[in-house]
Parts: sequence; C-alpha cells; structure tokens
Amino acid sequence: MDIVVLVKQVPDTESLVQIAGDGASIKKDDIKWVMNPYDELAVEEALRIKEAKGGSVTIVSVGPQKTQETIRTALAMGADKGIHINDPLAEGSDSLATAKILAAAVKAIPFHLIIAGQRAVDEDNYQVGAAVAELLGIPHVSLVAKAEILDGKIRCQRAVEGGTVVVEATLPALFTTQRGLNEPRYASLPGIMKAKKKPLEAKTLADLGLDPAAVGAAHRKVVVKALRLPPERKAVRMIQAETPQAIAAELVRILHEEAKLI
Amino acid sequence: MEREQLEFDVLFVGAGPANLAGAIHLKKLAQQQGREIEVCIIEKGESIGAHSLSGAVLDPKALIDLMPDFREKGCPIEETDLRDGVFYLTATGQLRLPYAPPSMHNEGCFIISLSRFCAWLGTIAEELGVNIFPGFAGVEALYDEAGRRVIGVRTGDKGVNKDGKPKSNFEPGVDLLGKVTVFGEGPKGSLIREVGKKLGIFAGRMPQVFETAVKEVIEIPAASPFLASPFTVLHTFGYPLGLNTKGGGFLYRMKENRVSLGLVVGLDYEDPGLEPYQEFLRFKKHPLIADIIRHGKVLQQGAKTLAAGGLYTMPQLAVDGALFVGDSASMLNVQRLKGIHTAMKSGMLAAETILTAVGKGDVSAATLGDYRVKVEGSWIRNELYAARNFGQALSQKGIAKFITLGAQFVTGGRGFVDPMNITDDASTLQAGRFRPSTQVQDHDGKLYLDKLTGVYLSGTKHEEDQPCHLLIPDKELCVTRCWETFRSPCTRFCPGQVYEMIQEEGGRRRLKLTPSNCLHCKTCEIKDPFNNIIWTCPEGGGGPNYSIV
Ligand SMILES: Cc1cc2nc3c(=O)[nH]c(=O)nc-3n(C[C@H](O)[C@H](O)[C@H](O)COP(=O)(O)OP(=O)(O)OC[C@H]3O[C@@H](n4cnc5c(N)ncnc54)[C@H](O)[C@@H]3O)c2cc1C
Repeated sequence: MDIVVLVKQVPDTESLVQIAGDGASIKKDDIKWVMNPYDELAVEEALRIKEAKGGSVTIVSVGPQKTQETIRTALAMGADKGIHINDPLAEGSDSLATAKILAAAVKAIPFHLIIAGQRAVDEDNYQVGAAVAELLGIPHVSLVAKAEILDGKIRCQRAVEGGTVVVEATLPALFTTQRGLNEPRYASLPGIMKAKKKPLEAKTLADLGLDPAAVGAAHRKVVVKALRLPPERKAVRMIQAETPQAIAAELVRILHEEAKLI
Repeated sequence: MEREQLEFDVLFVGAGPANLAGAIHLKKLAQQQGREIEVCIIEKGESIGAHSLSGAVLDPKALIDLMPDFREKGCPIEETDLRDGVFYLTATGQLRLPYAPPSMHNEGCFIISLSRFCAWLGTIAEELGVNIFPGFAGVEALYDEAGRRVIGVRTGDKGVNKDGKPKSNFEPGVDLLGKVTVFGEGPKGSLIREVGKKLGIFAGRMPQVFETAVKEVIEIPAASPFLASPFTVLHTFGYPLGLNTKGGGFLYRMKENRVSLGLVVGLDYEDPGLEPYQEFLRFKKHPLIADIIRHGKVLQQGAKTLAAGGLYTMPQLAVDGALFVGDSASMLNVQRLKGIHTAMKSGMLAAETILTAVGKGDVSAATLGDYRVKVEGSWIRNELYAARNFGQALSQKGIAKFITLGAQFVTGGRGFVDPMNITDDASTLQAGRFRPSTQVQDHDGKLYLDKLTGVYLSGTKHEEDQPCHLLIPDKELCVTRCWETFRSPCTRFCPGQVYEMIQEEGGRRRLKLTPSNCLHCKTCEIKDPFNNIIWTCPEGGGGPNYSIV
C-alpha cells in the first residue's frame, strides 16, 4: 500500500498573530510554524495503515524553504520520504492552484491512497483535498473519523447529525481527516535522528511541468481583501459579595441592566 | 523497561544562552582543530527560545568572543542606542538620580529579546552540526555503576495519562549518553537539584537565592512620550515594593514601538501577603510608567526567576563526567542585573575544557576541574568578586541598606563584613505578618491583565492528560499549618494562578492545582516555606511559547 500524505505548514494558533501593514496578510516575524493539526492526523493514519499492510508513506508539501522542517517532522514520525515543492512562483497560490501543484506532484509517483487534512487551520478553506481528488479523477471522502482498508477499497465512517454514515470507495482514493480519527504519535528522538537521513526531494514548478501563469499570487481566482482579528477578549469580571444570595442577585442585576440579556 | 540509548560525545541539557554558546564554541573549536565531535542539546520548550525570558540588556563581550561577525550572521538586536535613567519612585512621583552608579551604565550594550536571541543561536548551532532537540525534557541524570560519574540523562516519557498509564501514542523516553554532560538548566534546575543531593556540589556553599520577575512586551503608540524622551533604558526602585523588599522595575525600548517592561522581586521577602503579580500591576499604574504605556497593548507576558546569590553560592563546577554553567552555576552578576554574558562565557570556558578532556580521554572531576580554573582566571570572576556582597546588602532593611552599599562601593565590594551571610528564600516569610496584597482590579484585557489573560498571552499550553508535574508530598500541610501560619502563599507568589485554595461544602479547604497554567518559573519550589512543592519537568514541549520576551 503506497500512501501519499498532503501536508501544510501553518502558523501555530497559539503564537502572536498580528495583521501586517497591507491589512490583508499576517506579520510573519514572530510566528511559530507547525504542521497543520489535521495533517498530523493524516500522517498518523498513513503510518498505521502502513504498519498493518506494508508499503510506503510519502509526504508532499508546497511552501517556502522552512516547510522542510514540517516535512522532517513527518519523516521523524515515521514517513519514508518527502517531496517539497519549493518555488517562489508558487507563493501566494489560492486553494485551486495549490491543488493543481499537489496533483501534478502526486501524479508522478505511484500511490493507492492519498490522505489530507480536512482543512488547513490558517485559511480554513476545506478545498485542497477535494480539488486534488477531482484533478486526479479519483474518489474523495471528506471528514473521515474512521478508515478501514478492505480488498481494493476503503471503508470510511463520517459523523453526520445524530449518527454515522459508512461510505466505501474503490482505491485509489483520497480522504480527509476529522478530529478523533486517531491520536498522532510524537516524533521520537531516534526518529528525528533517522529523519535527517531520509530522502527529501525539492521540486520546482518547471520540474512538474506546470505553467507558472496558472498559479501564484498574481493568478489567484480568490483574492483576500482584508483580514481582521477576532474581537478582543473582554476581561473577566469577578462578582464580589458576602453571601451566595448577594452574588446571585448581583449577577442577575448585571445580566439584566448592563448586558441586557434577561 | 528497555530504553533506547543514543550516544554523543557531549550532551548539553537546556538551550539557554549558556549551553547554546557552549555548543557553538565547542563545534567551532573542534572544526579549527580538524576534530569530529558529536554534540547534542535538549530543551524542554517546544522550540529554541520558547522558554527564554529576560530583560534584556546584553553586554556583548562574550558574544564578540564567540562570534565576532555576529551582526553579519543576523543577530537579532532591538536597540543599540542605550541611554540610562535611574529613578526612585514614590507612590505618586519620581526622582531621577542625578548620578547612575557605574554598574548601571550600559553604553556599548544592546537591548535584545532573549527568546529571539536564543532562537537565532539555535539556528547557528544547527548549521554547525549540533543535534538540537527542542521538546525533550531531561528528567533524570544517569550515573555509572558506582553512582559517582554522570554518564548522561534520560528524557521524559510522552503520552502518559493523568494516572500514569500509557496512552495509545505512548513514546518512552530515551537514554542520552555523553562522555561529558553539561547542565545549563537556568535557575533552580530540576536535574541539578538531584545531582547536587547525590554528589554534594552545593555542600559548604551559601544557599542560592532568587528573584522572580513578571515581564511584558507592550506595543506603545507612536505618540508615547517615551519615544521622544532622552532615555531608552529605565531602572526604578522604591515604589511599589518599598525599600525593605529587594527588587525594582525596568523598562527597555525595543524595535517597532515596543517596550520591554518588568518588575523583579527578591524572593527573600517577608510578607506572606505579597503577590509579585499584583506588585507588577501596581508598578504599571505608577504615573511614570502609566504615561509611557497609555493606550498601549500587551503583546506577550511571562515570568521567570533568576539566580541572584552570586559568588558565594557558586556550586562545585565539575564532577566526574559533568559540568555546570550559567544561572545553574550562579554565574549571574546581580549588581548589573546581567547574566547572559556570564552564562555564555561560562559555556564557552566549559567547551574549551571539554575539548581537551575528551581529547585526552579523561573526563574525571580532576581534569574537568580545569573549568573552575578558567572561570577564576576570567572576567566572570572579576565581575562576580566585585559584586560578591551586593545582593546581601540589598536584602538589608531601610537605611542599613544604603550604608552597606556605600561601604561596599568604597571598598570594592568588601564592605563591613565579607562574606555577608545569605538566608534561604524559603525561610524568610514572617508568620503573623499577613497583609493581603493590594489587588489591582480594573483589568481591561488589553493593557492591564488579570493573571489568566497573562497566561494566555504567554502562549502556555501543556498536554492536559498527563501526571501533575508539581509534587506536593504533604497535601494535609497545605490546609493546616501552611494555611494557618501564612494563608497559603503559593496562591499569591505563583504568577500563573496554578494554585488556588478552595473551600468545599462543609467548610473544608482544598488546594486546587492547575498545572497546565505553569510558566516554568519555579518560584513555588523556591519560596514555599515548608519546602513542600517539588517542581519536575512536565511532558517535553509543554510550557510557555515565548517569542519576543
Ligand atoms: C526578568 C529578567 C531580566 C533579566 N535581565 C537581564 C539583562 O538585562 N541582561 C542580562 O545579561 N541578563 C538578564 N537576566 C538574566 C539572564 O536572563 C540569565 O542570567 C540567563 O538567561 C541565564 O542563562 P542560562 O543559559 O544559564 O539559563 P536560562 O536562560 O534559564 O536557560 C535554561 C534553559 O534550559 C531549559 N531547561 C531547564 N531544565 C531543563 C531540563 N531538565 N531539560 C531540558 N531543558 C531544560 C529551560 O527551558 C531553558 O530554556 C534577566 C533575567 C530575568 C528573569
């Protein structure tokens, strides 16, 4: 079973996110970059399938130089090789263009299964996985909470309102991950040492035979016009009073008179 | 359990400035001599710099030694134009000292963010081929069979649940072996504590003492009067701590309309009601500071301790197979409130010693002891010698403080008594002197923050489902003697709101712990009057995520 995992490096949501001068992007200086948490689930699921069925796990990612760190993390978890599409012309691509690049990279290698995160937590678009499947002409199952490999097909469970749907697709196929699929493993110290020696191929758009005019910031079909931070967290107000009754009365007064909720 | 072993020539525990400089220096020296040396650094923070918090005014003399081309290499410097002002604060006003003591002169120094600086040193070390492992905590020192020689450290298990049971992603720690292990855990290291007990490295020394600081990086409006003032570096004393509690405030200018603001509190304070976090908020409300930061916004907050004991608390610096550097080895110059340069220099001197020892194939305490000779012969010793009684003088009350300081000033640090005695921080709280600290209430969520918002802005996170890393051997004591005598000072001295005393139905008290709020400052272990809190490393990668403090 040869498995490809699509991975993206994203800002750590805990780090200091500030909007840059252009009002439509974020400041990159003080940001910590990590593997998209949904992609961690994807890497883990791929490794578990490989451990059960044999085969290989290849990590594919588009991004600038530092994306290598994230690919190395996946290799340290146990993936076999990495493909890094690192080309300034690809920078600023929208979801569809990113999918085109990934599809071109994946097409060049043998695979039975592709796993991707349901979405990247930076832009929350939910598009890349589905678009890659479409471009490759293979079935796509989204938001998978449980996956089982059967003979020549995959059986997936998805949560829906009030229940679970079981879906089957023939391989090769692509599915995207949902929380609860598994508990991603840690990159172990020996794993990190080994990862340094695992193959990590860098590729450009030209290597993939892609026309730069189809991708990149200048050719976005979707343009970010403005970014705004969520409203500031209001400070917590502690109600001080002698008795529980007095605290309750004050709470009711605040909810009624100030918050006007009741 | 069989654990995997990984062998290196030299193992550095903790990626602060001491060990980063040590590892870089070691690799460079080895390269110059055409020798191969496998070097490894582990760091409990999720990335290099994530647990680094400092002022910081950097005296660059060790950095210049280490890397004369540091500017070309992209050293992150915030400000080079250092103009000092020293202020005495009263509750509502301030007095500028017409004359700043020489130890407060900072010409030639830079302002840096230690977090950024360490992240940068980390990339330099990595380029030189150092194996850097952020996200791995050293949880146990390993010894040879005789139990005398340090042979490495064990890293913590990951994926263990609250009850100590392995989870599905359980990942056992590994045994990292080094011909030499260098401990640079910063103040109050959790491994050096155990090594100290076993090998007696603190025997015959005065007790180490500490200061805790709460610090923020604040973005101030371009119109702030500070940006046009004649000063870029402010130091204050007096309000809010008064003259009997050791400590003071600092405010340094950074790039992009940012300032670094902090209050340092000596942990030998006596009043069990004192709350360093509240003192910090009161400091921020003082007109001198409030005017500067008005309409500003806190970008990051954090807290850390520093080892302030100085020369007379310096432990034995070498044992068989191991060396101690930086704050762990009491290298900080408390008179100048600077420990980065001495930490770096100590790491470099350790590196020089190690290279020779490993070359000779002799890592005994006798050979590694050459490190102490090197420290004694360096400017570290000169600085620390001049400051050897300074912290003790500051610990004096009222007017005696200034008389002692004056005497030391004219005698080159000797003063009236040399050495002056040092009292363990855990023993200074005065029973019956409880006065609840003045609470600053009007938090606005932006510039004046409550503790929990502060924890949020430190980026602190821990895996929630893991064993509690704060060990309290006698829980009954917390609700009996400690409550009765001191009203549970842990609920106040902890800047992260880890400790809360709650009263359950029926009136029984219970100490509630929220270990996931822990900022890793270790104030609790230092100041607990009953020595009833033991700080151990939580799962590697947990803790604050500092990037600019
Ligand atoms: C508020 C404040 C202001 C200061 N201002 C200045 C200043 O202006 N100028 C100046 O020169 N100095 C200043 N100092 C002092 C200076 O920051 C310290 O002296 C210096 O950081 C010490 O360096 P270190 O490498 O010894 O330790 P640290 O910087 O404390 O680094 C130790 C590292 O080891 C890691 N670690 C610890 N235990 C383990 C373990 N068991 N396993 C894995 N990792 C571990 C920690 O996470 C940490 O990253 C200040 C300190 C504070 C707190």
